Amino acid sequence: MAKSLHEIRDPIHVFIKMDSHERKVVDSRPFQRLRHIHQLALTNLVYPGATHRRFEHSLGVMELAGRVFDKITDPHNVTDEVRGLLPNLNDDDERRYWRKVVRMAALCHDIGHLPFSHAAEKELLPDGVDHEEITKSLILSGVMTEIFDGMNPPVRPSDVAKLAVGQKHYPDEKFTDWETILSEIIVGDVFGVDRMDYLLRDSYHAGVAYGRFDHYRLIDTLKILTKPDDNLGNEGSVEPYLGVEEGGLQSAEALLLARYFMFSQVYLHPVRRIYDIHLKDFLKSYLPGGNFDIDIEKHLKMTDNEVLTAIYSASRNSSAEGHSHAKTIVERAHYKLVYQKNPNDQAQNPEAALAVFRSLGKIFGQENVRVDTYSKAGGNFDFPVLNNDRRVVSSLTVSTTLNGVPPLGSDYVFIRSDLREDAQRWLDINLTAALKIEEEE
Amino acid sequence: MERLKKLAVILELADKLKKKGSWCGETHLQKTLYFLQEMAKVPTGYEYILYKHGPFSFDFRDEISSLISDRMMKLTPQPYPFGPSLETTEVSENFRSKFKVTLNKYCCSINFLTEKLADEGVASLERLSTALYVFLKYSNPDQKVQAQKIVDLKPHVSFEKALAAVQELESIRRQYDQVCNSEM
Repeated sequence: MAKSLHEIRDPIHVFIKMDSHERKVVDSRPFQRLRHIHQLALTNLVYPGATHRRFEHSLGVMELAGRVFDKITDPHNVTDEVRGLLPNLNDDDERRYWRKVVRMAALCHDIGHLPFSHAAEKELLPDGVDHEEITKSLILSGVMTEIFDGMNPPVRPSDVAKLAVGQKHYPDEKFTDWETILSEIIVGDVFGVDRMDYLLRDSYHAGVAYGRFDHYRLIDTLKILTKPDDNLGNEGSVEPYLGVEEGGLQSAEALLLARYFMFSQVYLHPVRRIYDIHLKDFLKSYLPGGNFDIDIEKHLKMTDNEVLTAIYSASRNSSAEGHSHAKTIVERAHYKLVYQKNPNDQAQNPEAALAVFRSLGKIFGQENVRVDTYSKAGGNFDFPVLNNDRRVVSSLTVSTTLNGVPPLGSDYVFIRSDLREDAQRWLDINLTAALKIEEEE
Repeated sequence: MERLKKLAVILELADKLKKKGSWCGETHLQKTLYFLQEMAKVPTGYEYILYKHGPFSFDFRDEISSLISDRMMKLTPQPYPFGPSLETTEVSENFRSKFKVTLNKYCCSINFLTEKLADEGVASLERLSTALYVFLKYSNPDQKVQAQKIVDLKPHVSFEKALAAVQELESIRRQYDQVCNSEM
């Protein structure tokens, strides 16, 4: 008799289990393609172990999404108030249906990724298109809908697409409170399992300890909460939120600190960042029109393998498109860091790196200088916490740690390695002038 | 609008909100900027979507984060049970002083909106900004229809509170036209 339950070994979650319907999604072309998309682009040039792929990350996200769903919809873990707000919780068939949707959305949340994941996304897609847009298109395409239709019960692809990309990437679609909570399980700013898995997995493969946190404890204390009126006359909100019991607060803090450290040490490592830029430069030259084709069939045929082959080929052929960029990558002759933002300079000019980049470009040639600016919110750390005295309060009122997590950001300027010393000497003399903001007239 | 000018406008807005007595948490700043951008038509250009608790801009959230990182703003803890306030720093004063032309241009809008919204609580700001979202998106002049749309979008808001928000928005818009648009 054929197996109805399947298990895959995983270094982070030990076993990832799925049924035969879910297995069909794993076996589909869009999902199998993720075996050939590096999770962290060219980060392995800095952290050699970081060669893992989106494939295993997506399996991990599915595993964690199922665990979180089970926890927060467990009838023993739901208050009467929340049960009244979210009727789907009261119906076992509904719960079973949405559990499947959450797991499928988690599994498919990355199928729209371009080669090398985020490395080259912004400037290599048509305006207004991002990988989430391609993910949506793929989930709603014939190749996937056929599989979803064959599930028992059939899963609506539109439900999967909404939860997979979240409200941020579906601005014109109305999300019910229930759908908002379920999409938060996957892509949420604080407790999204996408983030939980990538921190644990990237940390493991990169060989750095910063990404670890007690995700077992965290998941075990997650709860759907509402924010009631307080006793000072401030009106609360009955809109349900994903929050934690007080006992899980330290695990939540550890998660958000892990994120900060992983960004500081791995994701924003300057050498990793410059290789993203060299890769983008190559792709701009190599791709027809300088953009990836967003046609589904062409997307499915394009992986890191095709791009790497092209890079190696172009590096050996001086007349090939993108030859110099390819050579830079293959020979590991990346541009070197010549300037990075610091608080004093930022206080003079919040666009300090851009100002330095423009000035150095004029002196040393734009083609020899690159700038990288990255600024993301520390995330929204304001989530409800259920205190031991059964009151719901904002995390920011009970955690000094969360108030102190620094925002993420890095601004770098790079220059061709043989020009670095001259550039540094030039900056020693001219930095103040380069940063100066002229008063408006 | 160029980014540095935008930053000057945001810092001015936060500063005036705080000076007029607002607690000025992130929600206050998010919703007041929404009014400034969409009602007063100050071209800050952030993309807002209807999210949990009303219109919200992820881009603007990242911008606030940058301003904190660049020491133009800081988070100041407030007594339990309130979340932290956003406050501008001395560094930001020097920065803003370079953009007097821009700040003068939008001075009336910033003053009017900070005056009107500084005292509003978070829940009230959420309803008011959702009322503005509905007004701009569905452009139906009937206040009851607008209120019902708010309830459709945010079922946890009662019809009575939604209608009160629609009426308050109408009053704010009318006053804004008298105070600021008549100056132009």
